[in-house]
Amino acid sequence: MNRSTGFAFIAPLLVLMIVAFNLPILYMLGLAFWEKGQGFTLEHYEGLLEAPVYLRVLGNTLRISLIATIANVAIGYPLAHWMRGLGRRARLVAIALVVLPFWVSILVRTYAWIVVLGNGGLVNRGLQWLGLTDAPVQFLYNELGVTIGMANVLLPFLVLPLFAAMIRIDDRLLQAAASLGAPPRTIFWKVYFPLTLPALAAGTLLVFILCLGFYVTPAVLGGGRVPMISNLLDTLINQIPRWEQASAISTILLIVALLIFAGYRRLDRKASA
Amino acid sequence: MKRRSFVKAAAASLPTFGILSAARAQSKEIRMIESGGLSGDSIQVGYIDPLKAKTGINVVRESPSSLGKLRALVESGQSGTTLFELGSGVVLQAKKLGLIEKLDWAAINPAAMFPEAKNEYGFGYQYFSTIMAWRKGQKEPKNFVEFFDTKAFPGKRTLPDYPHYCLPFALQAAGVPIDKLFPLDVDLAFKKLNEIKKDVAVWWKAGAQPPQLMKDNEVQYAICWSGRVVGDPAFGLNFAGGKADLSYIAVVKGSKSEDKLAAWKLYHEMSLPENQAKAAGVISYTGPSPDLDALLPQDKLWQFPTSKQNKAVQYFENAEWWADNGEAVNKKWEAFKLSL
Repeated sequence: MNRSTGFAFIAPLLVLMIVAFNLPILYMLGLAFWEKGQGFTLEHYEGLLEAPVYLRVLGNTLRISLIATIANVAIGYPLAHWMRGLGRRARLVAIALVVLPFWVSILVRTYAWIVVLGNGGLVNRGLQWLGLTDAPVQFLYNELGVTIGMANVLLPFLVLPLFAAMIRIDDRLLQAAASLGAPPRTIFWKVYFPLTLPALAAGTLLVFILCLGFYVTPAVLGGGRVPMISNLLDTLINQIPRWEQASAISTILLIVALLIFAGYRRLDRKASA
Repeated sequence: MKRRSFVKAAAASLPTFGILSAARAQSKEIRMIESGGLSGDSIQVGYIDPLKAKTGINVVRESPSSLGKLRALVESGQSGTTLFELGSGVVLQAKKLGLIEKLDWAAINPAAMFPEAKNEYGFGYQYFSTIMAWRKGQKEPKNFVEFFDTKAFPGKRTLPDYPHYCLPFALQAAGVPIDKLFPLDVDLAFKKLNEIKKDVAVWWKAGAQPPQLMKDNEVQYAICWSGRVVGDPAFGLNFAGGKADLSYIAVVKGSKSEDKLAAWKLYHEMSLPENQAKAAGVISYTGPSPDLDALLPQDKLWQFPTSKQNKAVQYFENAEWWADNGEAVNKKWEAFKLSL
């Protein structure tokens, strides 16, 4: 197949992407630089600098996204590793269990946590029944609740690529290292972990960027005490409605995401070189 | 002269077809965006069903109704939606942004209405109150000084995640009487909120949250919309110091004239006290007719925002103040939320 027929095949998708995705983004970016009747303006960005509260919400979002991503890696990596060691049938069941939440609405999953973690919820009743606590532990309506909820929703995004990379690792590589006298810990860190690193990095990045735009979980499990950028954008777009200000914040969010992505690409290229 | 031949004669004497079609046509179906839930059902039962029975005009409802949606409707060109529900402060904002049109009160020809409901740009159709409530069995506060006194009245609170609601209540807790609330002393209000924020478990966004949180025993006290808690034996409540507010239905800018002719008919139905009594049977909020009280179930008068005993102890929302100061206060609110 020559290059031009290849392009013909991809053209419809390209047009769709440009019209349905790229043009609206450009329009959104442009909004921040435009004031009706005035033309070009930078006042919406100046407004951001003068009242840094919106930027602080962005900082808070980055911090919570980082915590949720770390929690995700801490749970997801051992889980994917454990799944690799399972037999064929057990592995299928495990994958099904990881993927299953994808079929349940994110809203339902998020509300389910209220039943599980609430003051009168399963976990708290269990803890009190076991005599471990006297008063209910406050799991919900704080950063802990938001982190748990986000980790739950995003886990498949990390586990699936990681698991795919792990089952591709040739067992003979590990056996060769063992036959040369390497203890299990050395095999893991010198052979196994480096082979999973590209997938781990890609999955982590994906999870982190998805965290940045999370709306439902902080709104439901945060109890209004965990300000995140998409909830602020909702206020600015739907209630006030200052679309220009929202556009300026979105632009900064987009730049932050792109910078993180660029940093990842740089690391990735260095690693493969 | 029969009506039909009169119309013909009138049509013949009109010079242009444009005016002719406007005078003649009246849509058989118009669209409305309202706030949803039981409130939407009350519009259906109270006003749309009677309109349909009388005139055959149907009104199709959608929800929810945020100001952002209205802006998107207008800026993207005529959407086919004629009526849009807005809060009292939002009517002023929408007017300033040029998103709504003037009402033709002569064409509506309403029955008697409270004056604040008869706005140039909106029909105030539903009074609602924001009040204190608690789980049955808690100590019962009599005013907002007591409500915010977390030592004497121990328990977690849930408050609205909106400065419009929280600031005036916080000022009452600081001892400001309800007739001296506006202009709001914003700094004093935030000072008070900072004192009690550790006892606020949840800042709610949706009106369904506070009753559920109280039932789950996540919180024991709430500031919430009266319609969500009255009549439920699980809750105690008090209208003292509450906020009375009015929701409006406005006309979307650029609406077709034949749709507006149908809308005036709906507005007329909304002004009739017997229809308002039907709506109040669905949700315990009240319409703008001064003659409504007599038509409501007398043993339930204490549940309604505008019954005499309740109207006297509440303050009324000051939409003008919020239109001037809302955005600045909102920034302070976001900063406050970051400090939680």
